[in-house]
Amino acid sequence: MEILEQHVAWANNFRSGWLAHHQQTGEFDWKRYQRPRNNEPVSGFGIPLATSRIVLISSAGGYVARTQQPFAAAHPYGDYSIRTFPLYTPFDQIAYAHEHYDHTAVNRDPQVLLPLRHLNDLEAEQWLGDVAPQVISFMGYQPDVSRLLDETIPAIVNEAKATGARGALLVPA
Amino acid sequence: MGLIARALELAGIATTLTGWNADRTVPLKPPRATYTKLARGATLGQPGDLVQQRRILQATLALLEQDAPLAPVYLPEE
Repeated sequence: MEILEQHVAWANNFRSGWLAHHQQTGEFDWKRYQRPRNNEPVSGFGIPLATSRIVLISSAGGYVARTQQPFAAAHPYGDYSIRTFPLYTPFDQIAYAHEHYDHTAVNRDPQVLLPLRHLNDLEAEQWLGDVAPQVISFMGYQPDVSRLLDETIPAIVNEAKATGARGALLVPA
Repeated sequence: MGLIARALELAGIATTLTGWNADRTVPLKPPRATYTKLARGATLGQPGDLVQQRRILQATLALLEQDAPLAPVYLPEE
């Protein structure tokens, strides 16, 4: 089972199409961008929520402004690094480096993208076993899927495994 | 997020996600997912609507109790 089927064909199309066009002209031509897709689903066992640890993974570009470097939000080819920060980080210490969504909602109410307090509540109510103490964060503008597969995904999998989580909640921006 | 979900599932971590962009995520075939009609930037609900946020969150998390793959679950949330 593959994370992305026909990865080589996708990468060739990306390099000779969208990427080459941008390098030659400076233009973003999304008609040249082939969205990745799969034919085969992935199988996996369910888990008992009430006794399982869940890790939150967010692509909102969140980072702790006082101690962490922001993501390269303006880079034309994206940012493939990740950050982690404690679940109990106060919302007023979290900033968002991501230029590809409107920040109006998250600035009004961070839980539209980072449901930290909701998860705390579900744990307190014993609806969940517990929530991993670290949130995994990245900036979800990553047009080069090869770099996503080679850089971002291994880092996320390693961090998620290190938390001891049996389940992951993924929240795109 | 669909590819990340597949990678985690293959690594033995059960995954679930919720998104506003079913048109882009469904073709990636993530193991478990809910989809809404919410706007980009407000994935879990309207700002300040804690009831809606929690409803979407719990509907999405509840999928973790089922074996994957699951058919996409479309929630009437906007």
